[in-house]
Amino acid sequence: MVSDRTKRNLKAELRESALAKLGVALVALVLVAAAFAPLLAPHDPTATDPGNASLPPLGFSTTENQTTSEMVDGEIQVVEQEVQVNATASHPLGTDSVGRDVLSRVLFGARTSLLVGIFGTALAVALGVVVGLTAGYYGGRVDDGLMRVADVMLAFPSLVLAIALIGLWGRQSIAIPDPFVRLGLAPGMPESAVIPGTVVVVVALVNWVWFARVARGEALSIRSAEYVTAARAIGASDRTIIREHVLPNSITPILVLATIQIAAIILLESALSFLGFSGANLSWGLDIAQGRDYLASSWWIATMPGIAIVISVVGINLIGDWLRDALDPGVDQGEGGV
Amino acid sequence: MGRAGTATTGVTRSVSADGEPLVDVDELVKHFVENDTLVDRLTGTEPTAVRAVDGVSFAVHRGETLGLVGESGCGKSTAGKTLLGLQEPTDGDVRFRGESVYDRSGAALAEFRREASIVFQDPFSSLDPRKTVGATVKQPMDVHDVGTLAERRERVRDLLERVGLSADQFDRYPHEFSGGQRQRVAIARALVLEPDFVVLDEPTSALDVSVQAQILNLLADLQAEMGLTYLFISHDLSVIRHICDRVAVMYLGELVEVAPAGGIFENPRHPYTQALLESVPRVDTTERDRDVVPLSGDVPSPRDPPSGCRFRTRCPEVIPPDGCDLSQQAFRAVMDLRGRVENGTLPVGRLRTELGADGERADPEAVAERLYDRTVDRELPADHAASVRDALRAVAEGRDAEAAKLLRERYETVCETTPPTGERAACHLHED
Ligand code: SF4
Repeated sequence: MVSDRTKRNLKAELRESALAKLGVALVALVLVAAAFAPLLAPHDPTATDPGNASLPPLGFSTTENQTTSEMVDGEIQVVEQEVQVNATASHPLGTDSVGRDVLSRVLFGARTSLLVGIFGTALAVALGVVVGLTAGYYGGRVDDGLMRVADVMLAFPSLVLAIALIGLWGRQSIAIPDPFVRLGLAPGMPESAVIPGTVVVVVALVNWVWFARVARGEALSIRSAEYVTAARAIGASDRTIIREHVLPNSITPILVLATIQIAAIILLESALSFLGFSGANLSWGLDIAQGRDYLASSWWIATMPGIAIVISVVGINLIGDWLRDALDPGVDQGEGGV
Repeated sequence: MGRAGTATTGVTRSVSADGEPLVDVDELVKHFVENDTLVDRLTGTEPTAVRAVDGVSFAVHRGETLGLVGESGCGKSTAGKTLLGLQEPTDGDVRFRGESVYDRSGAALAEFRREASIVFQDPFSSLDPRKTVGATVKQPMDVHDVGTLAERRERVRDLLERVGLSADQFDRYPHEFSGGQRQRVAIARALVLEPDFVVLDEPTSALDVSVQAQILNLLADLQAEMGLTYLFISHDLSVIRHICDRVAVMYLGELVEVAPAGGIFENPRHPYTQALLESVPRVDTTERDRDVVPLSGDVPSPRDPPSGCRFRTRCPEVIPPDGCDLSQQAFRAVMDLRGRVENGTLPVGRLRTELGADGERADPEAVAERLYDRTVDRELPADHAASVRDALRAVAEGRDAEAAKLLRERYETVCETTPPTGERAACHLHED
C-alpha cells in the first residue's frame, strides 16, 4: 500500500528536516526502552529498599538530617547532624521514597505508556474510521445521525468521561507475560507487563471522535471522485468501495492524526494514573503522583518520569509533523503528464 | 417512479426494423435540484431544478456506434451516466435487452453491470491513484467473482497487451503513466468482463491531439474484435464522424436530430445541427459551401429553458408568423430584440442617465430612439420599424410587460408556441 513515491517523499523529508530526525531519535529511544526494559533496567522496578531510599541522581547530592547516638564520656548523646547523601552508580537516576530505582521505573513505565498509547489509538482509529467513513460516504440522514452522536461525545470533557467510565467498569487490567523473563534472560524482573484495559477503552472512547471527523471529511470528498463512480459502474458494492477506494485514499491524514493522538493518549493515561484511576502498577503518571509529595526534598522522583513523558510526546509529535509534510495530499495528485 | 405523461418533444423514437434494440432509452429525464437547503425548505423557496436531461428517447442497436453530440452543458454526459443507472433518473426508463435498468436488483443488476460499462473522459480522475493498474483492471472480475485468481491475473496481462500496454506494467501506479496510457487502462477495465455495451463519455477529449487518433483506432479495433456496441458521447463532431454509424444531436437537454452519420454530415436538417457543423473546421474542401450564419446569443440556462423549440432563441431559421414580410435575418434581429425586452437586458437605465443631463429625467422618446439605434442593426420596413419603436418607447417608460406583449402580438412564432417533433429532426421546418 505504500508506494515507492511515498517512500521517496518520506526519505527526502527526513533528510531535510532536523526536527524529523530528532523525532525519530526520541521515539526510537522510547521504543527501545519499552521493548528491552527488563534487560536495561538495573533493578526490579518494584523492589523496595528502605536503606537506599531517596538517593539523588548521579551528579547531584542532597542533605539529610541524621540522628546518631554516640557514647561520649560514658553518656549517650544523641546528635543530630546534616549528612551529605551522595548518588551511587547503581541508581543512576536515584531512588524514590521507598528505595525503588527511578531509572528502572521510568524504563518499565515506557511500556505502559506505549501500550496504552498504541492500543488506545488503534481502538479509536477502528471505531472512528468505521463511523466516519460510513457517515461521509452515505451522507444524508446516516451522516446527520452518526455525527450528532460524535458531537455529543465531544461535548464531554475527556477526563470527566474517563472518570465516569472507570467508575462504571472498575479498573480492569490485562497481564502480558514478559518474554525475556520467561526465557530466563532477565532474572528478578516483574514477570508480566500490565495493560490497564479499562484505560485503553476509555482513551479510545474519548478520542475516536477526532478520527471520525477526519475520516468523514475525506469520505465526503472521495465519494464523488470519478474512480468511485467507475467502481459503481462495474457493480462494486458500497462495502467494497469503502474498503478498496475510500479507505486507502483517506488513510494519510488518518495516519498523521493517529501519530499525534498517540501522544495525546499517553498524556491522558498519565493523567488518569496520576489521579489514581489506572490499573497499572508501573506508570509515569503514577510515579509523578507519588513523587509529588517529595518535590521539595527529592525532586527527581516526579521529574524523571515527567521528562520521559515530554520526550515521548515531543518525539511523537515531531514524527507526526514529518509524516504530514511528507505525505501531504497535495503532493499526491496531479503528477505525471498527458 | 412515476412515468408522468409529459408532452412528447424532440425526436420521436423510431423503432428500427431489425427488432428489439440493445438499449432503449424512453423519455429519460434527469433534473438536478439545487438550493434544497434547510433554509429554503423552511422559507418554502421552490428549489430550482437544472433540467440537464429533459425527455430524451433513442435506441442503440447491437453492434452499432451511436454518437451523442452537443455543446458542453447540453446534458449528454448526464444522459450517459443516467442511462447506466449511475445517477437516479427523475423520470422515464431505460431498457437493456428489454428489461428496465432501474427496476433491476440482485442478479439482474449484476448482470447489467457486467454487460454495460463506461469509459470516462478524464483518465486522471477515473483511476484510483492508490491502486496499481493491474488491480484496477482486475477489480471487475473480483467484484463479479470471475475465474480463479491466477486466471484473473492472466486475463489482465493479456488485456493490458491488447490495449497497447505491456503485461509487466501490472504493478505500476497510474501516476507513472501518461494520459493516453491511463485511458488505455480505463478501456481495459471497461472491457475486462467482455461487456456488450460501452458508454464512451468523451474518451479522447482530455487527451493530446496526437494521442486521440490512437485511442479512437484502438476503440474501433476492439469493437470489431469483440462485437461491442458503443454509445459515443462527444462535443467534437470530427471525432464523431470517424467512429459513429448514427448520430444523435442534443441541445439543452433534448434531442434535436437523430440520423445516420452520412445524413447528419452530408445533409443536416435541424438548424442546430447545421450550425454545429459550421463550427467544425472543414477538412474536406469539396463539401458544398453553406451560407455561414453565426449563431447569435448564448445558450439559455437549463434552469429555465425557452418554450416551444429550445433552439428558437438562437435559431437563424426561426419561422416568422404568417403574413410577416420580414427577411429571415431581419426577423432574427427582431426576435433577439424581443428576447432582450423579455428578460430585461436592454441598457435602459444607462441610457436614461446618459441622456438625462443635469439630473433631469431623460425624455422617453429620446431614450427609445437611442435604444433603437443601438439594438436594431439593419433597415426594417417602415411598419415594422414603427412597431418596434412603439415597443421601445414602452420600455423607455418602464412598461416592460406591455412592450413584451406588443411585440409578442405581432411576432409570435410557431417555434415558441409549439414544441416541434419529427421523425428525424425536431424542427417545424421538417415536420412531415
Ligand atoms: S423549430 Fe423553429 S426555432 Fe426550432 S429549429 Fe426549427 S426553425 Fe428553428
